[in-house]
Amino acid sequence: MSTASKTVLEAEDVSRNYGTETILDRVSLQVRAGEVTTIVGPSGSGKTTLLALLALLLEPSSGKIRVAGRDAAGLSDAERSHLRNTFYGFIFQTAQLIGSLSVLDNVLLPAFLAGSAREHRVVARELLDRLGLSARADFLPHQLSLGQKRRVALARALLLRPAVILADEPTNDLDARRAAQVADFLLSLPADGYALLLVTHDPQLAERAGNRWQIHEGKLAPLTSLPTLPVSRPETFVLQTTNNEIL
Amino acid sequence: MLRLIANSLLRRRWQSLATILGVALGAGLLLAVFLLYHGFEQGLERGRQRLGADLLVVPANATVDPDKALFAGSPLSVYMDSKYADQARKIPGVRRVEAQFFTQSLKLECCSVGTESRLIGIETQVAYRLAGMSPDGREKLAPDEVIVGSELLGGIGKPGALIELLGYIFRLAYRLEPTGTSLDYSILMPIDSARDLAAKSDALKPVWLEAGDPHQLISALLIEVDDPGHIKDIGRKLEDLGPLKVIRAADTFQRLKRLMTAFVFVLAAAGALTALGGVAYLLGHFSSVAWDRKGEWALYRALGATKPRMMQLVVGEAMALALSGAVLGLPLGYGLYRLAFARLAAQNAFPFVAPGSGLLVAAAAGALLFYGLIGFLAAAAPALRVAQLEPALTMAQGDID
Repeated sequence: MSTASKTVLEAEDVSRNYGTETILDRVSLQVRAGEVTTIVGPSGSGKTTLLALLALLLEPSSGKIRVAGRDAAGLSDAERSHLRNTFYGFIFQTAQLIGSLSVLDNVLLPAFLAGSAREHRVVARELLDRLGLSARADFLPHQLSLGQKRRVALARALLLRPAVILADEPTNDLDARRAAQVADFLLSLPADGYALLLVTHDPQLAERAGNRWQIHEGKLAPLTSLPTLPVSRPETFVLQTTNNEIL
Repeated sequence: MLRLIANSLLRRRWQSLATILGVALGAGLLLAVFLLYHGFEQGLERGRQRLGADLLVVPANATVDPDKALFAGSPLSVYMDSKYADQARKIPGVRRVEAQFFTQSLKLECCSVGTESRLIGIETQVAYRLAGMSPDGREKLAPDEVIVGSELLGGIGKPGALIELLGYIFRLAYRLEPTGTSLDYSILMPIDSARDLAAKSDALKPVWLEAGDPHQLISALLIEVDDPGHIKDIGRKLEDLGPLKVIRAADTFQRLKRLMTAFVFVLAAAGALTALGGVAYLLGHFSSVAWDRKGEWALYRALGATKPRMMQLVVGEAMALALSGAVLGLPLGYGLYRLAFARLAAQNAFPFVAPGSGLLVAAAAGALLFYGLIGFLAAAAPALRVAQLEPALTMAQGDID
């Protein structure tokens, strides 16, 4: 596929300091369309900070972030907001759903903020269907299981057909079965042309993903072999409804 | 965006309802206070115009409430010799003297108004000033013509209608505008006609046995002077004429106005405090909202909401609450005003002119505008803080649902 090697997001010598403490030190990374880029590292190593910088949620102390070849340093707040809305799809460590909105409206949230909810309603329903949630479209988040919430967040991230999916510990807090479901879905996205940037400390997920990088004490380096990363995977307890749907 | 605002308010329905009710009470109170104040002010002014006199002269033994006698049209069931009218006219500096004759109360059997109607004999030029009219270019009421207050003969009391009073037929010449005073329940007729009716009344015969022939009696004199600076002197000369009591309209007017101002001040203070309370509540509410919901706001920012859009969301919620409260408060305020108006009118406590529909609409629009502005101001500072939230905050927070 011709888009497979196209760089859509790039960090060049990016550093981020908090006071005198250096969280990221001269990090360079390229994220390409149709590929998975995986960053592993222990908690507090700077993974999430790097993700926030690449997502234009933070500004680097030095270095450059390029979005589709354009230097982000010169972007206005409105331009950065527009990119966050349309160029990126976010999957946070927790589902981050709005409790007052139905599942469908939560999926439509980026479109609400862009003022284009009406034209994306069909897409939102298709995504819910694809993720096995069409029967839950009118539910409120508190009526969903953890795994279902995470799938709603996945649908929300894909709604506006972004170029890059940023997933921060997407299998966090999920049991093995649910984690595998989420991982399956995420890892299928590059085949559709998405660039997937995956941040995780889950060795099982990292093992399945390609193009692995390790971040340690703020420095990024290619990961050739998976170290024994600390991970706590809760024991799997699967609840099933009468129609055998996994909760 | 409207859907996000509506959902947010509905999710916190009890909190939203409390805010809306608080605003509604404030808006209602403000509206009622404004309408009452306006009605008082207009009523007092109309009373002053209707009086058209600087001095009111009554018998010395009359138990008179000057406020009501002058401005609320309350009749005086006391009598004095009509010669005082002629003598008053001769006092230098007196421009005009008008006599009034108050007679019995009537029950209108055909169309009960739930209260007694007062029969007042007036000199016909007074009638035209009261009515603010000069129908057909005439200067006098005919002996068989009457003017009725606004609350009498509703629906049938149109000019030209015939009315039977104590067995005699009269023709309705004019209906007065509402005043909120006993004048609304009064029938005005030429003074000689009133005296004739009174003389023929069996019920009043004991009165005339004591007071004398009603054709020689009057109840009050309204006097206008050439120079207000000489009112005191003229008042002393009037008192020298006989056992008379002289009431200065200006003093009474000022006293009544002070009383009304104090009354309205209390109401206005209550209204203002309620409004300020509403502002403080909304300010506190949206300050805490900015803090408590920062996770939600940060998520919006992360997902692409611009700073202006964030401000629209916060201010939109505030204005939706404030305007909903104000809309609810309008009928509350109108109801409160009608209640107060009915109570005051029943007591003839103050002269009062009910505001017209144009003023009601303007007052309602003003209340909506005021509370819309309050909502905007209360949310402006929190909205600015929300707009400045770091979108990266959302990366570090737990679930927000």
